[in-house]
Amino acid sequence: MLILGIESSCDETSASVVKAENGRFEVLSNVVSSQIKLHQPFGGVVPELAAREHLRNILPVVEEALECGAAGDDGGGEEGRGDGRGGAQQKIKLEQIDALAVTVGPGLMPALMIGVETAKALAFVWQKPLYAVNHMEAHVYANWIDAKIEFPAVGLIISGGHTELVLIKGAGKYKLLGQTLDDAAGECFDKVAKMLKIGYPGGPLIEKTALTGNPAAYKFPRPLLDQDNFNFSFSGLKTSVLYFLQRTFPEVMGTGQGANGDEARIDPQKLSDICASFQQAVFDVLIQKTLRAAKKYKVRQILLAGGVAANRTLRGKMTEAVEECKNGNTGRNGKGSKAQKIELIYPELKYCTDNAAMVAVAGYFEALRMGTPMPRLASGSGVPSLRSGGNKSGGWSKIKVDSQLDIT
Amino acid sequence: MKIYKTKSEKETLELGRRLAETMRGGEVVALRGDLGAGKTVLARGIARGLGIKKPITSPTFVLMKIYPVKGHGKIKNLVHVDAYRLEGGASAETIGIADYVGRADTVCLIEWAKRIKDCLPKNIWQVDLKAGETEDERVVEVKK
Repeated sequence: MLILGIESSCDETSASVVKAENGRFEVLSNVVSSQIKLHQPFGGVVPELAAREHLRNILPVVEEALECGAAGDDGGGEEGRGDGRGGAQQKIKLEQIDALAVTVGPGLMPALMIGVETAKALAFVWQKPLYAVNHMEAHVYANWIDAKIEFPAVGLIISGGHTELVLIKGAGKYKLLGQTLDDAAGECFDKVAKMLKIGYPGGPLIEKTALTGNPAAYKFPRPLLDQDNFNFSFSGLKTSVLYFLQRTFPEVMGTGQGANGDEARIDPQKLSDICASFQQAVFDVLIQKTLRAAKKYKVRQILLAGGVAANRTLRGKMTEAVEECKNGNTGRNGKGSKAQKIELIYPELKYCTDNAAMVAVAGYFEALRMGTPMPRLASGSGVPSLRSGGNKSGGWSKIKVDSQLDIT
Repeated sequence: MKIYKTKSEKETLELGRRLAETMRGGEVVALRGDLGAGKTVLARGIARGLGIKKPITSPTFVLMKIYPVKGHGKIKNLVHVDAYRLEGGASAETIGIADYVGRADTVCLIEWAKRIKDCLPKNIWQVDLKAGETEDERVVEVKK
């Protein structure tokens, strides 16, 4: 079956056509139009601007996803507004699309609305079923694109707005093990980057600056690491970095500007060391808590998801930690426990950050969950069934989003 | 105006709890202070004082979070806003903040309130958080 996914929860407008067969996926197109440059001067996503930009981009992006889909072009990655490859190809016909899936939250309300309204309109005009997808779930489903998922698995979802550890017992069967009690991991990166005046978005910039730094140069706290639960807290870490900077570099931190109006700067090597040490503090907590959960629930796989999972340093360190764990070296709280076979899975970089391919995959599972009869890949004139299982109104599912923008 | 000095995060939390006890609904509270000044902690204290058990997570990403309140008289909602990325009342309206501000059954906690001051009522609480003499100390000014 072919699914058209649509995503507009934050600052990327994305559409993707995914071919799903027996739980295996082929991404035919994944077009992402990023607005990062637009929001950079504000140090964060401005909802008004985002909504306007989504509105401008959504139809061209959908159009292009359909065109690239037929050419088997996957949209050309991050900035990927078509690179002309296979442009002469016929585009996917709408009869070939079996269903639509759209992110309904969590996210920025004005931004979400553009994607949701577009998807509803297309579904209505095309008379295709539409599935509502939770953005965080979709991030987890990004792992299904290239890997075979085995259960139980533990998923670490880390992004600008979220830090959650979930136990996954099957597609769509989750248990929240823990979450951040204050700031999300990605938000902490953004705020620390702001204090260090290295720009926005913080994650990739801190990672880059940290490459030449020594992660043991400075000691920052590892919040909640010693607590026997799976919760996180990053607000305090952010504050302690701030105090450290105020103590160590008063001329830089003072009022933001030097006496004669010039901005004082931290020495580049020290800056790298601070970034590396800060990053290490965040990763230590994320990795150790995830491994603890993996052991406690005897999972077979650890899945990384969300924008922060795009951080290569984190992937590397997590891989090392999982290897150690496999070899039976369980670190300081191991009581000679048996080696456990755990596999670490993470999506390709382009499926870590916001994208619609993951939304389409999540839509497929949502369709399965709702017991929709799976239409075969439309061949020629075969018009897929419009009725979907648990729904009264022909494929329409009523979307309810609560005040936290979670689906209720 | 009242000035409180707190010596630890715990005391800041407790101050929030006490402030919550004086609330009757309809309060709009502007929380001011630099990064790390303790706005989140005070907000959490107020939430605890209103009997909210859910974690009070940062509203920075979604801009506004709403928590249902039970058993505190007229107060039915606590709304926590980070207006840093908003510009003016019109943008506050788009994300729905204006629906809650000043409502008799709602307490609003607003960080960076000056960015949306044209949609806020005149008599709001001003709470300023500043660093104290040591790293754990805070000076909290409350103007009702």
